[in-house]
Amino acid sequence: MLKVAVLLSIGRHPASGRPRRAPLDARALELALRLPGAEIHAVHAGDPAEPVLRDYLGMGLDRLTVLEIPAGSDPVPALVAHLKALSPDLILAGRCAEGGEDSGMLPYLVAQGLGAALLPDVADLSAGEGTATLTQALPRGRRRQAEARFPLVVSVHPAAPEPRQSAFARARRGLVEAVAASAPQDGFIGECEIRPWRPRPKRLRLAAGGSALERLKAATETKSGQGQVLVRPTADEAARAIYEYLVEQRVIGTS
Amino acid sequence: MIATALSSLILATLAAGAVLALQHARRWRAGQPAGVDIVAGLKALPGRYLVDVHHVVARKSFNARFHALTAGGFLASLPLLVLAAVPALRGWLLWGLLALALAVMLGGALMVGYRRRVEKPAELSQGRFKRLPYALLAYAAAFLVVALDQLAGGVLPWPLALAFVLAGAWGGAELILGVGRGPLKHALNGALHLVAHPRPARFHDRAGRDTGLRPADLEAPKLGSERPLDFAWNRLLGFDACVQCGRCEVACPAYAADLPLNPKKLIQDLVTAMDTAADGERRTDASYAGHNHPGRPIGLAQGGAALPLVGPGAMIHPDTLWACTTCRACVQECPMMIEHVDAVIDLRRFQTLELGATPAKAAAVLEELRVTDNPGGKPLARRTDWAVDLNLPLLAEKGQCDVLLWLGDGAFDLRVQRSLRALVGLMRRAGIDFAVLGEEELDSGDVARRLGDEATFQDLARRNIATLSRYRFGRIVTADPHALHVIRNEYPSFGGHWTVTHHTAFLLELVESGKLTLKGPTGGSVTYHDPCYLGRYNGEIEAPRRLLDAIGLQRVEMERSGLRSSCCGGGGGAPLTDVAGKRRIPDVRMDHARATGAERVAVACPTCTLMLEGVVGQRPAVAEISELVLEAVA
Amino acid sequence: MRTRRDPRAERQAKLVPGTARPRFLVGAAPAGFANAGAATGPTGRPRRDPRASRAAAVVRTAPRLRLDWTNKGQASLAIGTAQAAAAVKAAVRVIEEPAFLVLAVLDQPGGAPSDHDRQLIAGARLLADAGGGAVVAVTVEGVSGLGEAGADRLLALPADLAEGYEPERHAAAVLAAIETLKPRHVLFAESADGGADLARRVAAALGERLFAGVEALSPDRASRRARGGAAEMARAPARLMSVAADALPPHEGTVHEARTIPAPAFEAERRIGAVRPLAVDPDLIPLTETDFILSAGNGVTDWEGFAELARVLGATRGGSRVVCDEGHLPRERQVGASGSLVRAGCYVAYGIAGAPQHLQGITEVKRVVAINTDLHAEMIKRADLAIVADAQEVMPALIRHALERRAERQGKERRNA
Ligand SMILES: Cc1cc2nc3c(=O)[nH]c(=O)nc-3n(C[C@H](O)[C@H](O)[C@H](O)COP(=O)(O)OP(=O)(O)OC[C@H]3O[C@@H](n4cnc5c(N)ncnc54)[C@H](O)[C@@H]3O)c2cc1C
Ligand code: SF4
Ligand code: SF4
Repeated sequence: MLKVAVLLSIGRHPASGRPRRAPLDARALELALRLPGAEIHAVHAGDPAEPVLRDYLGMGLDRLTVLEIPAGSDPVPALVAHLKALSPDLILAGRCAEGGEDSGMLPYLVAQGLGAALLPDVADLSAGEGTATLTQALPRGRRRQAEARFPLVVSVHPAAPEPRQSAFARARRGLVEAVAASAPQDGFIGECEIRPWRPRPKRLRLAAGGSALERLKAATETKSGQGQVLVRPTADEAARAIYEYLVEQRVIGTS
Repeated sequence: MIATALSSLILATLAAGAVLALQHARRWRAGQPAGVDIVAGLKALPGRYLVDVHHVVARKSFNARFHALTAGGFLASLPLLVLAAVPALRGWLLWGLLALALAVMLGGALMVGYRRRVEKPAELSQGRFKRLPYALLAYAAAFLVVALDQLAGGVLPWPLALAFVLAGAWGGAELILGVGRGPLKHALNGALHLVAHPRPARFHDRAGRDTGLRPADLEAPKLGSERPLDFAWNRLLGFDACVQCGRCEVACPAYAADLPLNPKKLIQDLVTAMDTAADGERRTDASYAGHNHPGRPIGLAQGGAALPLVGPGAMIHPDTLWACTTCRACVQECPMMIEHVDAVIDLRRFQTLELGATPAKAAAVLEELRVTDNPGGKPLARRTDWAVDLNLPLLAEKGQCDVLLWLGDGAFDLRVQRSLRALVGLMRRAGIDFAVLGEEELDSGDVARRLGDEATFQDLARRNIATLSRYRFGRIVTADPHALHVIRNEYPSFGGHWTVTHHTAFLLELVESGKLTLKGPTGGSVTYHDPCYLGRYNGEIEAPRRLLDAIGLQRVEMERSGLRSSCCGGGGGAPLTDVAGKRRIPDVRMDHARATGAERVAVACPTCTLMLEGVVGQRPAVAEISELVLEAVA
Repeated sequence: MRTRRDPRAERQAKLVPGTARPRFLVGAAPAGFANAGAATGPTGRPRRDPRASRAAAVVRTAPRLRLDWTNKGQASLAIGTAQAAAAVKAAVRVIEEPAFLVLAVLDQPGGAPSDHDRQLIAGARLLADAGGGAVVAVTVEGVSGLGEAGADRLLALPADLAEGYEPERHAAAVLAAIETLKPRHVLFAESADGGADLARRVAAALGERLFAGVEALSPDRASRRARGGAAEMARAPARLMSVAADALPPHEGTVHEARTIPAPAFEAERRIGAVRPLAVDPDLIPLTETDFILSAGNGVTDWEGFAELARVLGATRGGSRVVCDEGHLPRERQVGASGSLVRAGCYVAYGIAGAPQHLQGITEVKRVVAINTDLHAEMIKRADLAIVADAQEVMPALIRHALERRAERQGKERRNA
């Protein structure tokens, strides 16, 4: 039977800052739940008392293993040790957590620790004998298919199917299994200075070939669209203006 | 001999009817236990029949009359026929009284025949129901002939007289045996339902209105209703009282827009499913002979008393369940006092809490509600963004005030902000000492509860109640009828008791007390759309009308208004579940408004505002009442 | 509009080219900021003024505005670039003995360096120039022109790495380069085209921390977003960093040597195979992922023309609720509160009024073009380019125009070839 581990973390809602199921991890779990006949092991490294963990149980899991580690410590060694013992074929995780360092490193470190292959940005997958066939989501809606050998770590892309709703009653009934684990303190975060994010003007993309100054100007402007209005132009004028604009915005190519 | 045949046939039929009824009662008695005060119910029964039921039936006076004649005559004839079993009593008095009763009934039966065979309203069911007028006529006419014959001393040759007795007895058997499952269900199940009604407070002998949903016990082993057997017995009895009169079908806004929901069929789906033995037997809806849920063929739905009710192949399609706007129009119209909305919510509770099967955007909105306390997932501080220049006083800073203005989630919407600004402007002019909760105000929980997410509702309710309890204020005023309903009628179960006034009533007070002075007639015509949660849920239909009259607008009524108003389509989370039909509910409602020829539709609810403004094409402008009042103040 | 000051960019503008260590021209205010009216920049080159070029394109203003975009506006821009190229030719900086190396591992989606790659090299330049280091662009064979972008050395990996999808091999190649060159910093592009993945593979293999998605960079400080975007995390530049797109300005002013250095040999295990791109019809891309949406509302009646236009422009079709209700488009094409919340770079709205529920669906859209007969439509207010005209007339004209331009382009290409 296909053995699948899903790595779940706690997300943080961007508006309220309150904990929630991390959107990409929930998608990872959704993909796992859709694999026919898979034996699913859901794992979280952190605090087993966190109520939001139950939201994952509400998606239809009977149990969830929590490797109990102190807040602010590095979850990777504990996860790797646990997964080594479990030796799953497939390990699914969101490609980036929400609410922590959000570096997107975890799947890579786990793959490295296990000596497993890794495929990023997966939107869909099916499992065969010893391999999986995966669909990767690329920028601008493009897709790529690939095959990869087990053991395989897969990082899940936002284009993966929406996670199913978490049902209150199932969440209440599911089992959170705490397992003691050790974790080194994470020194790197301590070296960083952390403060609230202040939005800053984003550089505008400008057609190459502009002068340095134009690019500089672009670098300092948040929005150049001045709401230009053409009132009752002829159809051709309108067409030309729209076309130029699309070219300028690089939505349609010039080459 | 004829008299003996007559009375023994009737006695036999009554006995058979009693056995059948008892057997039949097993179906609803299999439901969950419910605390019912039977004695009080029995005492109240005649009053409830004659006042509450009559009140509903009498909305169609023809129907009330034929009911009175037919039922009166029938009920009077039965004891007389039974008495005829005693030879000593067989005299001119008995036969004369019987003839009189049957003549009265015959009049009624002819009216029923006219309605069913000549008028043929589309909402009536066919099938077994088609025979009803014949049965009534056979019983009344044939027995009348027999009674007259007996009065005259038996002039008819006996074979002919016996033929009349048999014809009448067939009619009687149709009627009496039909008490269990046929057209005359209301005679027994209807009466019992009135005795054991799950909401006794809705009758005239109590509060007269009871619309708040009942809290669900979140610790229960199963949340909500999955199968017929999960409903309380008196609720099943209620479903079983349905006479398929179709009044709910006519009133239902979802049905009118051809969404796949017909409340009459919904109740019949429940009845058909509970008709099976409790051991997993299946039954389809093939015997149903009325209109189905629009767009769905008859015969595909199947279920049983112990089988899941909701599912694509089950008795009730999920689209049917989620198309309901919880507008209570069906409940308002039902002569059998059936509580459709309670049934819908119980079924939804199971779908949401146990299965996590809330459809479309609704699931995501519930998740946002849980994590951010508002359906849009916005920072709560932004609830008052539109009012930065208005310097809304915060209750947290003032500590106390006369009026706490509950803004509602509409405050996050650009359109609704316009009417809230008007309301705040009016309150300022009138010199009201008011404040808002600002960031402390959470969603009232209305949408979560109607979508079956009782857990999120209770969490929001408890936290709102805790916040409100910390402050001193005179009363709550809100422009949102949904919040009003929830705080006024549903928070009390969780220990929150406050006076909540709708802003239309509040503005009327201000106008009538002279705190707001009007410029004089502003002119123009307007039609008022009653929000379901203000009208039917809370009975407030007068204040907004008086307010519109006071500002001097020429008011015209739509084809449906007041307590019988038709929904905008915005309640019950329906915009989130977004079940598709041929049309949209607000388009249907806007047709009603267009038909009045009024220049504007006045609305008194943020949801109605958004739903009606979403209608495209030529239409009357949509104006919130506060905006109209602001135009009119001096 | 008030021009905003950007100290970083100002500093960059005052950078005096041609020296090993950065020198700044502090006295003179850069014209772009203090002196918005000036027609020329600090180097004496003419600046392009969009408003002026639009003014130049005006053919007449009454009875209604007409613009001619094929005109002089473009000509002056052409002169500008020619002069810029000439000015740039002058200074080639050679760093013979760098104190240390900074690697810029280019992304090169489709084989050619992207804007993002140039920004990356500029970031590496910044770090190198702070201490006499040199920038090594890790690229693939056959790429040129990176000297202008600021690269001192080129390390070219086998060309097939850019063509196929072999992330494990690519990572092994970069790892070998890092092991051989022992750079002080390695910069990757934080991009979904492969850069983000490569950075993490390399970091995991090295067992080093990646400071991912850098949003601002100076020689002594790098910062990035964390905690779901709510926090800024900053520290001294890490050894391994990936840089977000459009976070840094591209390098300007000096041309660097871009001397090719040999690429070390490498070896990799291959566990990923059978790679093939899946064909995508732009019109079948989910609305939430596409970058270019052509959207129709109740004002559109010519549905064939609409579909044709989407095909010609390579756009994904979307629509308002009304048109989906009426079945002109399938339900999953609905944009708005009860449809999809889209985040396209460009959204062209034909005959859409801009109801609040519709606008809610396009809050994340960068540029909106609206075509509507009603000047007062909300969509016109939301638009960056608004055209008050009949959709049915503009659609065929735009199809014609696009086809003509495409034919012109193809003709030119053929002549060049
Ligand atoms: C709860 C709720 C949710 C909703 N969700 C959504 C949603 O997700 N998405 C959505 O789109 N809507 C949604 N709506 C509906 C929304 O309110 C509007 O009704 C809808 O967006 C209007 O669509 P429209 O702009 O295409 O049509 P209209 O409002 O009819 O506007 C047509 C526009 O086309 C212009 N026009 C007419 N003829 C021409 C022509 N020949 N050339 C150019 N322009 C022309 C007109 O000037 C007008 O501005 C929702 C409504 C509600 C109540
Ligand atoms: S509550 Fe309203 S929408 Fe629901 S079934 Fe009854 S009438 Fe129909
Ligand atoms: S539910 Fe009530 S209103 Fe509807 S058909 Fe049955 S009896 Fe009539």
